[in-house]
Amino acid sequence: MILNREQFIAQANLDQATLEIWIEEEWLVPGGDSAQQTFSEVDLARAQLIRDLMDDLGVNREGVGVVLRLVDQVHGLRGALADILELNRAR
Amino acid sequence: LWTWGEARVCIVKDPYEVLGVARAATQDEIRKTYRRLAKKLHPDINPGDKAGEAKFKEISAAYDLLSDEDKRRRFDAGEIDATGAERPRDRRFYKDFAGGDGAAYDNRSGFADFAEADDLFADLLRRQRRARGADLRFTLAVDFLDAVNGATKRVAMPGGSQLEVTIPPGIEHGETLWLGGKGGAPAGEGEAGDVLIRISVKPHKFFVREGDDIHLELPITLKEAVLGARIRAPTPTGPVVLTVPKGANTGAILRLKGKGVPRNGGRGDQLVKLKVMLPDPPDAQLEAFIAAWTPAVEDDPRKGMQG
Repeated sequence: MILNREQFIAQANLDQATLEIWIEEEWLVPGGDSAQQTFSEVDLARAQLIRDLMDDLGVNREGVGVVLRLVDQVHGLRGALADILELNRAR
Repeated sequence: LWTWGEARVCIVKDPYEVLGVARAATQDEIRKTYRRLAKKLHPDINPGDKAGEAKFKEISAAYDLLSDEDKRRRFDAGEIDATGAERPRDRRFYKDFAGGDGAAYDNRSGFADFAEADDLFADLLRRQRRARGADLRFTLAVDFLDAVNGATKRVAMPGGSQLEVTIPPGIEHGETLWLGGKGGAPAGEGEAGDVLIRISVKPHKFFVREGDDIHLELPITLKEAVLGARIRAPTPTGPVVLTVPKGANTGAILRLKGKGVPRNGGRGDQLVKLKVMLPDPPDAQLEAFIAAWTPAVEDDPRKGMQG
């Protein structure tokens, strides 16, 4: 599912200014080009995570970037571990 | 594909109990309690913790109800029950996309230091998902004997190309073949994805595999059983002649060494279980002979079954 910027703002329940900040902070990295940004369901789920971090988990703006970076690294490690296990099975 | 996969959460528990707050708790206390629990249980902070995820959905639904002053008042007054908190909480979490094709944010820099020491890690690290083509996964049905003896199969790929798949001898049902770099083309200058082929071995008419051994039930005639015989028996690599010993009974097992599934340079065995068959259609001569026959020793094949 590919969303354009307007659709994304509506579905993620954001406003233009907030989205702009999130992209500036590189919390979200839209696809497409600057004229026509595109967003995916991954971005939608990530936006919800950012909202949870700020609204419910008491993470401040500086902390969000740190948390996202660590979360992405955890997923990278989990992905690598899954690859190793699968590779091991395949051999 | 956009699916809301997780089961809906239907709260029937008391939301105060779920959050562990007093009924007189202030909104501030409720929010603090929820935050404390959410920090521990949020599925994106704890990927892989299924129990935690279920608990998180419970506390979220409870918090939805209690953090809304109007809903809370109506719940306290008994106007709505706890299911009033039910909401489509079955959202997809960020973690649900991790490792998938769309994992644009996948970050594997966390073990770049391992890569210097280990080729496997170096290889994994190169799989920058964003640049790689998609992995293609499919299942290939393989004939029993091809799985035992090995084979080469041509498989039509999406896009019309043909892929030659070498099935190694002895592969088992459910195993996955990994063909690196044979998958989807990369978007940019990255490497192609992989092809992962799950092997589904079709059952055979009379061979059954157990580990590295092949089991076969082999019918023999009454005459072959009584007098012994040399008979032909099928094996995965072609028929062999085996000797049925005199007096061989139904259930007797003959082991054909090295006629099973290849393994580590050797092979498993084939186990042939004999099954004595009376003539079909019945033989009048045999019937007459048996009628006139008085066994020297009275035999009771059911003697072990008394009581």
